Amino acid sequence: MKRCFISLAALAMVPGVAYAQSDTDQQSVTLQGNVASLCVLGAPSQSSIDLGQLVATSGTRVGRIAAIGDQHVTLPGSFCNFAGTALTVSSDAMLAADSSAVQPGFARAVNYTSSVDNWASTPPTVTTAATAGGGTPNATGTGGVEPLPKVADLDLSLSSFTVPSDALLVAGDYAGSVTITLGPAVSD
Amino acid sequence: MKTFTVAAAALLAGTASVASAQSDTDATTPLPVIGTVPALCTGGTLAGGDAFDLGVLIDVNTGYLRTDLSTEPKVLTGSFCSARSTISVVATPISAQNFTATPPNGFSRQVDYTATASGWTPTAAVYNTADATHPAATQQRDAAFTGDITVSIGDFSTVGGNALRMVADPSYRGMVTVTLAVAD
Repeated sequence: MKRCFISLAALAMVPGVAYAQSDTDQQSVTLQGNVASLCVLGAPSQSSIDLGQLVATSGTRVGRIAAIGDQHVTLPGSFCNFAGTALTVSSDAMLAADSSAVQPGFARAVNYTSSVDNWASTPPTVTTAATAGGGTPNATGTGGVEPLPKVADLDLSLSSFTVPSDALLVAGDYAGSVTITLGPAVSD
Repeated sequence: MKTFTVAAAALLAGTASVASAQSDTDATTPLPVIGTVPALCTGGTLAGGDAFDLGVLIDVNTGYLRTDLSTEPKVLTGSFCSARSTISVVATPISAQNFTATPPNGFSRQVDYTATASGWTPTAAVYNTADATHPAATQQRDAAFTGDITVSIGDFSTVGGNALRMVADPSYRGMVTVTLAVAD
């Protein structure tokens, strides 16, 4: 029993050491991190743009491109979390699947204008200029610089569908594509 | 302090690995723009009226079919097919419209002829009303094409033989039909 009592007395001396320090202590912890520069395009409201029948089937313009209304696709919630960004739109004219050489008076290409609104004050706008035979189908345009981080619903519009020389269109399936890119503006 | 520094370095390293999975540039996958153009053929517009007018068919001195019958061709302008196509020509004999009974011996009430549609295919489509078969009446064009089609008639002959005379009738008529069609 006596041996146990001495051990407790030794423990009682430990608080006596603490009383020899200040009653306040302070340490600083630095928290660090970063936010990556991000641009993210919202999912397009539709996965493709199907124009259906492209030509008039009666009347004075039979066989030539019909009046096709403007087409719109929304990319909701698109954003960049940094300043100095720009949109680029790259479009390929619609070409007939049949790549055979076209006869005089015919074309196998449908050109159109692409524009993406709701980003910088100057939207990217580009018009394809494929030849009747389908050459040089691609065109690319870049819009103005957005000076602030931004989130917006982007509006892709396709309009002014035309055929080189307003020629007759060869029969078949036609396909083109539009690619939108959002990222840092490229300075000259 | 050393402990804190190590902890901060670990935090930075972790952040960097997250950033590398993202990008400051985003692009859509190419958004398809699609449409179709059906196979179409149109015969165009017939210039110069819609009838071959041969006038008087017989030599009035003999009663036999004239040997110098002729008429200007007709031209179909603005014809086109947007795909591979065939052109066919079909004709019916020039027949008396009022005298429809069997003609008496020595007479005929019909005239055969050849109808030709040229300009669409390298080989013209030809139909002779006197022939039993018409293998050249349909020709094929292997690609979309637009151009004028010239339709002509000629090679007239009396049905039953040129030794027969034509019965009198104020109206003799035949028909030439040109058909453009998408080839199978």
